[in-house]
Amino acid sequence: MSLGVRLEALSAGYGSAAPVLELTDLEFPPGSFTALLGPSGCGKSTVLGLVAGFVRPTAGRVTAGSEPVRGPGPERGVVFQHYALFPWRTARGNVEFALKRLGLPRAERRRRALAALAEVGLAEGAQKYPAQLSGGMQQRVALARALAAEPEVLLMDEPFGALDALTRTRMQSLLRELWQRRGTTVLFVTHDIDEALALAGRVIVLGGSPGRVLADHAVPAGPPDPDLRALIARHLGSE
Amino acid sequence: MHATPSPPGRGLAGLGPALGTAGVVLALWYLLAHSGSVAPGLLPTPGRTAAALADSARSGALAADLGASLSRAGQGFALGAVIGSALGFTTGYLPVVSAAVTPVVSFLRPIPAIALVPLATAWFGIGESAKRLLIAYAVLLAVWLYVHDGVSRVPVSHLRAARSLGAPLRRRFTEVLLPAAAPAVLAALRYGASVALLALVAAELGGADSGLAYRLQVDGQFLRVDRMFAGLLVLGLLGVTVDLVLAAVGRRFVHWSAS
Repeated sequence: MSLGVRLEALSAGYGSAAPVLELTDLEFPPGSFTALLGPSGCGKSTVLGLVAGFVRPTAGRVTAGSEPVRGPGPERGVVFQHYALFPWRTARGNVEFALKRLGLPRAERRRRALAALAEVGLAEGAQKYPAQLSGGMQQRVALARALAAEPEVLLMDEPFGALDALTRTRMQSLLRELWQRRGTTVLFVTHDIDEALALAGRVIVLGGSPGRVLADHAVPAGPPDPDLRALIARHLGSE
Repeated sequence: MHATPSPPGRGLAGLGPALGTAGVVLALWYLLAHSGSVAPGLLPTPGRTAAALADSARSGALAADLGASLSRAGQGFALGAVIGSALGFTTGYLPVVSAAVTPVVSFLRPIPAIALVPLATAWFGIGESAKRLLIAYAVLLAVWLYVHDGVSRVPVSHLRAARSLGAPLRRRFTEVLLPAAAPAVLAALRYGASVALLALVAAELGGADSGLAYRLQVDGQFLRVDRMFAGLLVLGLLGVTVDLVLAAVGRRFVHWSAS
């Protein structure tokens, strides 16, 4: 269950300042896992904001499936860099927030929330508040919450950027695993070339001012390809 | 199952140093009053102050004054807090409204409530409603400002997350904006309560026939410093009690916040 995403002649900017983004057309097929790679300020987070419906384009349009994006919607889930968990709700409560939309009976909602937390390896922490959880655990809750709403597109904005290296590697394999199981379309923003190559089937390098697509590479399955890494690093370095 | 977190050890444990300081102040007061260096007509001893307090408690005057003052301050506070919170949520959430009304608030805020007493008297007379309105006005401005600040600081990612999770406007308000702003609302109410007591004194000094501040004024005319000290003591204790109660109630609701 997943939707494709299309960006058509998209531009974005804030007020009368210079545009932050001038994209050519981009298409993300249903079920694909794409990394948007680039230095900070290249507009990669803006792309995500446009698809999420947080930011309105100054020109062009975004479509998810066959519907143009007019604002945020539950078919496009978001995982934020700083988790954006509600501190007044437990881990389970945060996931239940996402499930309320489905109008389930209370017991079923609870059962599903616990199942979603178990899926991200956090069955133990269900009753804990975000402040009692480590960064990695909080991001697991955020992932469980986003997936519980059953999105068809998952938008992730440098979700593992604040985590230590070990936790980060674990979260990457968890995400790969979840994606393989669910087949949700994923757009993953990062500035880490190795993270992009480890996760995605396609890496798009953004850069320049205003931001635009510098390179678009398919990442072959199998062991990491040093030549591809060097090539992408050159694209990034040309900035 | 894990237990929900209990609030850190505040409250009673924090009373130790406070009681210590109160003891020191009391001792200094005692020594100064008994040293003979200040005329007894100007500084009553702690003993005489306690006796004056006991007198007014026995005669029923204290209860009557306390009742009148609490009723005014309570009603004024409730009215001001409700309207101030509503305005704070509106302007804090909608920057357009905020830009329109901020200059007005900035102009009104530095005017102390006591400066408005003559105007309130001219408009509403010296009855109870004038006093309640004056207190409500002072509380409204204070609560508005704090709530506005708290609501405008609610992380945009919380509201975005809620929208992306398909929560409609009503749920975004009751389940995200309200709890996210709750620590600020609690701070606003505590500050508002202290403002209510300040405005209460201003209102009663402007013309009243009952109340703690009215009594202070009467005692002042007869130079009864022991009674005045007793009255000030009651006002101070009232403020501390109200704040402690609000803080305790707040901690039950806002258990996740450290403030």
